[in-house]
Amino acid sequence: MPAQLKTAGWYRAAAFTLLGLAFSFSLTTLIRSLYGYTPLIDGAAITIVSMIAVPFFFLVGLGAFDYWFYWASGRPTRAEDHASHGAHSWRDYFKVNTDHKVIGVQYVCTTFFFMFIGGLMAMMVRAELAAPGSQFVDGQDYNSLFSVHASLMIFLFIVPVFAGLANYVLPLMIGAPDMAFPRLNALSFWLLPIAGTLMTGSFLMPGGAFASGWTAYAPLSTTQPLGQMCFSIGVQFAGASSIATALNFLVTIITMRAPGMSFWRMPLLVWANFATSLLVVIATPFIAASQFFVLLDVALGFHFFDATIGEGRQGNVVMYQHVFWFYSHPAVYIMMLPGFGIVSEIISVKSRKPIFGYRMMAFSLLAIVLLGFTVWAHHMFVSGMQDWIRVPMMITTAIIAVPTGIKIFSWLGTLWKGVIHLDTPMLFALGFLTMFTLGGISGVMLAMVPFDIHVSDTYFIVAHIHYVLFGGSLFTIFAGVYFWFPKMTGRMYNEKLGKIHFWATFVFFNLTFAPMHVIGIQGMPRRVADYADQFAAWNFAISIASFFLGLSSLIFLYNMVNSWRNGKKAESNPYRSLTLEWQVSSPPPIFNFDEIPTVVGGPYEYGVPGAVHAIMGSAKPEPVAAAVGSNTESQEG
Amino acid sequence: MEAASIEAADTSHGHGDHHGPPVAHHSSTVDAQTLGMLLFIVSEIMVFGGFFTAYFFIRIVNGNPWPAEGEELPQLIAGFNTAVLLSSSVTMHWALEAAKHGNRRGMKLGMLATLLLGSTFLTVQINEYVHLGFAPYNSAQASIFYGLTGLHGAHVFIGLTLLLFATVRVFKGHFTPDEHQGIEVPGIYWHFVDVMWVIVYVSVYIL
Repeated sequence: MPAQLKTAGWYRAAAFTLLGLAFSFSLTTLIRSLYGYTPLIDGAAITIVSMIAVPFFFLVGLGAFDYWFYWASGRPTRAEDHASHGAHSWRDYFKVNTDHKVIGVQYVCTTFFFMFIGGLMAMMVRAELAAPGSQFVDGQDYNSLFSVHASLMIFLFIVPVFAGLANYVLPLMIGAPDMAFPRLNALSFWLLPIAGTLMTGSFLMPGGAFASGWTAYAPLSTTQPLGQMCFSIGVQFAGASSIATALNFLVTIITMRAPGMSFWRMPLLVWANFATSLLVVIATPFIAASQFFVLLDVALGFHFFDATIGEGRQGNVVMYQHVFWFYSHPAVYIMMLPGFGIVSEIISVKSRKPIFGYRMMAFSLLAIVLLGFTVWAHHMFVSGMQDWIRVPMMITTAIIAVPTGIKIFSWLGTLWKGVIHLDTPMLFALGFLTMFTLGGISGVMLAMVPFDIHVSDTYFIVAHIHYVLFGGSLFTIFAGVYFWFPKMTGRMYNEKLGKIHFWATFVFFNLTFAPMHVIGIQGMPRRVADYADQFAAWNFAISIASFFLGLSSLIFLYNMVNSWRNGKKAESNPYRSLTLEWQVSSPPPIFNFDEIPTVVGGPYEYGVPGAVHAIMGSAKPEPVAAAVGSNTESQEG
Repeated sequence: MEAASIEAADTSHGHGDHHGPPVAHHSSTVDAQTLGMLLFIVSEIMVFGGFFTAYFFIRIVNGNPWPAEGEELPQLIAGFNTAVLLSSSVTMHWALEAAKHGNRRGMKLGMLATLLLGSTFLTVQINEYVHLGFAPYNSAQASIFYGLTGLHGAHVFIGLTLLLFATVRVFKGHFTPDEHQGIEVPGIYWHFVDVMWVIVYVSVYIL
């Protein structure tokens, strides 16, 4: 056997993928022959088994499980030589790497790759909607486009890109040399491209890609062509990735904080990821369960959602929505809380002031986690569920605006009389603040049962979700990527292009999505390829604006690629920030710290005379005043 | 003046690969593996929560008879199986205690007994499936019956796999009174699988 096939890597992964296909083919055919099914060779069955089994073969080939195989068989595990730490060329980013910084970059690049694919689909959706009637695609293909768009944006972009950014900066921020489980961390990353490939590749399936929306309501999803299984199985991989990462974050935050880094000295980004990870660990299994049901119904003929099988033995359709939304409502906080963390960092640093209401900021995160589990049925006011659930859900939904409001006002309080530096990350943070507030207000409107019934499944919903997920989440993602770009790449981004990117995004975002409120209230239904002529003018304007919005992301792409290659070398701490990730070189040393720093104060004491967050090197914890005066002393360590 | 921090003497020498990472500070009394396993169990409980939601809707909200007309659930055989699984928790604990006291023979016997009892449980369950007389596609009740017991069976299988790894290592001479996490952590998972079975058994077979 050639050496290439013995060592972990892409050759072995390719070989194992073929092996996996052969395995799926034989297993399926064997079982079908045992049961005497005809035809013996069934393409759909083999495809479904392959979609589940082949990814594991691929991962084994790539080397994601090598260490665990040694461990499990009781052989001496190879001594950790840290060969898989750091990246020396771009090729290292295509290997299984256990360095949280490399994994962070892998995450961010992969997720932005899928963001551009998802964005392209949004452009095609808008092209189809530019005029009434049928332009480019038929109804089923149109449904596929928005379904895959939403699924990629949610499961392959917003949820994991936050995990990627946090992967990079969170261990640095708490003074840890790496995550608690580096190999699990690598595995969670490599599950993502698999999920993305499944979802994007569903266009190649007979019958086209899945077309039941990202919500995949049963029994629509249980009666769709094979492409639907790409969603059901893809979500399992993305969900497993997200649970494993969340578990990793929680253990890292609880067990690996630097000396002196108490919970009340953690930066709010760490708090935000702590809260998010709790949500992920508790809620994500529910979407796994909902997709297991769909999978079992489709592949093995179960009847979870079959209401027609007969009185006394029928399944329950509304159950799908309950299980699905019990995950997917907390999921909107999974997609927002890390952004809150990013914005808290940026607003405090860029207005040179301590964050306003630090403890309330942390408590409101936890309040959102708790309340987030009590509001799921507000997505189901028109589903035909029991009427009495509506009002309690309306009340809890309105209440959840309170902790969110606390955060908004705390950010405003931080800005108040601050020395505001209006550079790109700050512009995006302020853009987030305004746009997310608008999205939040339409959210409270939607909490009200009568109004929600009126605008259910209209463009008002589309406007609302894009104001919170684009104007909210994506703005914080842009803010975070610009903010930590110098730290992650060691280069400065182009400030001028960054500002052009912000203003283009901000203007065309509003031109695209604000009018959707109007046509939504007038009754234009979402998820339909055609619409009444009265909406033609608005839709044409929206489509034009959306194309410019799409183009504006190319400015970002150019800025990132060009600055990474040719940008000015970044200093270790270009923003004079206090948090730990800025106290090491840009990019950080391979093991983050020579010695674990000692934390002696809060992370946001900007403008406070003599305030110190941490002592680098091996300094012993000392009173703050003494530490400030002992520059030379600690340098000896 | 705000001072970001006090710089260490030379940040550039951190780039070299000449030494390993600094030892992480332990900021909690719980060790990472145990905490990780506990959090994993939380998410496992929620997977079961999803399946129990389906059970609740099919049985209570729909008001379907349980089990469906013409279907029968073997309470006694499943009850025997429950006893088998619960006793495997006891042998698991025995193996862990033996490891804590450095009793290698107890470790080996305890792990083997646990594996044996766990496999017996799975065998009996598969045998039960074969002789039940109804299939998942007969009714929604049958679907969720197979769904819940099958999900649990899958967890028994995962637990047995983890225990098999630990057993192999026991026989290769691993684990000492100070270092027995490799038994303890899969052991926690095994106890979870057992407790979850009691809940599944009571709600599916008894109630």
